[in-house]
Amino acid sequence: MNRGLWNRETVAAILIAAYLPMALFWLWLEGTDALARLGFTALVIAVWHLVFMLTRAQAPSLAAVTAAFAIAMLAPEDLGIFRLALGISFGVVMGELVFGGWGRNVVHPATVALSFLGYGFPTAAWPVLDAPIAWAAIPAALIGMATGVMPAQVIAGAVLVAGGAAAAGLLGEPALLAGGIVLVLLVADPVTSAITLPGRWINGALYAALLTLFATGWAGAAPIQIAVAAALLTSLAAPLLDEAVLALWVAQRRRRHGRT
Amino acid sequence: MPQVPSYWSTLTTPLIRQNPVTLQILGICSALAVTTSLVTALTMSVSLTVVLTLAAGLVSVIRRHIPDTIRLIVQIVIVASLVIVIDQILQAYFAEISRALSVYVGLITTNCLVLGRTEAYARHHPPLPAMVDAFGNGLGYSLILIVIGGLRELLGKGQLLGAQVLPLADAGGWFTPLSLMLLAPSAFFLLGLLVWAVRSLYPAQIEQPEYAPAQLKSPAE
Repeated sequence: MNRGLWNRETVAAILIAAYLPMALFWLWLEGTDALARLGFTALVIAVWHLVFMLTRAQAPSLAAVTAAFAIAMLAPEDLGIFRLALGISFGVVMGELVFGGWGRNVVHPATVALSFLGYGFPTAAWPVLDAPIAWAAIPAALIGMATGVMPAQVIAGAVLVAGGAAAAGLLGEPALLAGGIVLVLLVADPVTSAITLPGRWINGALYAALLTLFATGWAGAAPIQIAVAAALLTSLAAPLLDEAVLALWVAQRRRRHGRT
Repeated sequence: MPQVPSYWSTLTTPLIRQNPVTLQILGICSALAVTTSLVTALTMSVSLTVVLTLAAGLVSVIRRHIPDTIRLIVQIVIVASLVIVIDQILQAYFAEISRALSVYVGLITTNCLVLGRTEAYARHHPPLPAMVDAFGNGLGYSLILIVIGGLRELLGKGQLLGAQVLPLADAGGWFTPLSLMLLAPSAFFLLGLLVWAVRSLYPAQIEQPEYAPAQLKSPAE
């Protein structure tokens, strides 16, 4: 305990606890099928964590469970074991482990895996998640925000913009439900979202804006697919948002004090 | 005086150890754009190797007569003339491939790899070593292009050089094409994996990290 209670694994454990309401509703509605998918995904990710621990001495992380949960829930259906394993391996290795493990990654491994599966096998059908799961995302987000493991500004920014778009009639119910689930699972991630406060507001708003844009302009795309694509672009933009906010802050200080 | 390297080592070091694409990340614009199939990758490799070798020879022959102030213009004029010749030959004899390559043959003119070799090597060496070095670098570039082009065509369509190698699931086989491989990002992934592999083989090529994370004080053990 020489570094305090709040280390990386505590954050991962609280994140898992926050996802529990969604996980319970999802398992309850989808049954043993979902449980098998979750187990298989977790197994593949665990193998890769083990490989990187043995070859590079990278400590494995509980965050593997959150990634496994997001992939198992959102991945396209009827891919077959081999292709699913390929997508998971790509996402976990290229999205997270080569950068040095959870906490140093730029994009969420689940986002990478889902995008890989989505663009690599465009014929596979995306899952349709029922409304109760989307409603369970609200307590998940509340637990995450209350304990501080999910950036509240990101969620607030996204809810504001998405609410405005829904009120204007631009965002239909399916896209809204899928967007909410993906917001909690992939976008409001403590590692890959923006880190500065204004950057976080913009991060959330950007996600909702992209979601609205894709929902109105991308013909023939499934709601989950739209949300995952928006999440991928948002997480790629997050470092840029931070950089811009920091540059503005430095410029402001220089104007006020004559130096940084 | 440093020992003059042999022709053999001048030719072979740029193949893998000092490969211009994986070590200096030069010429990747065309490497990414033309590698959707093996045929275009091969054509591009041959075109670039020919242009690079001839340009290095020409620049080397007149290296004592090029005024320093306008040397880049002179080099680009030489490279561009050769590229135009190659482009015309492709259009005349391989019209279909020429269409598939579109502007990328023309863009050999601005390929950093060509200008880098003529500027850094051919300007300071006699014609024969210059041409051997250019040929080796052309072969190194070709190697990367052929590996990436082959992988992308094989995984994206199950074909090699247009012939079906892996039986497709649609036609009763087992292979489901990974259509991501035909999109541009996959070339980045493959090139990244290739660079990773080469740098694992030669750890001296690993770049120093720009930032080091603050070291936590570990407890006395």
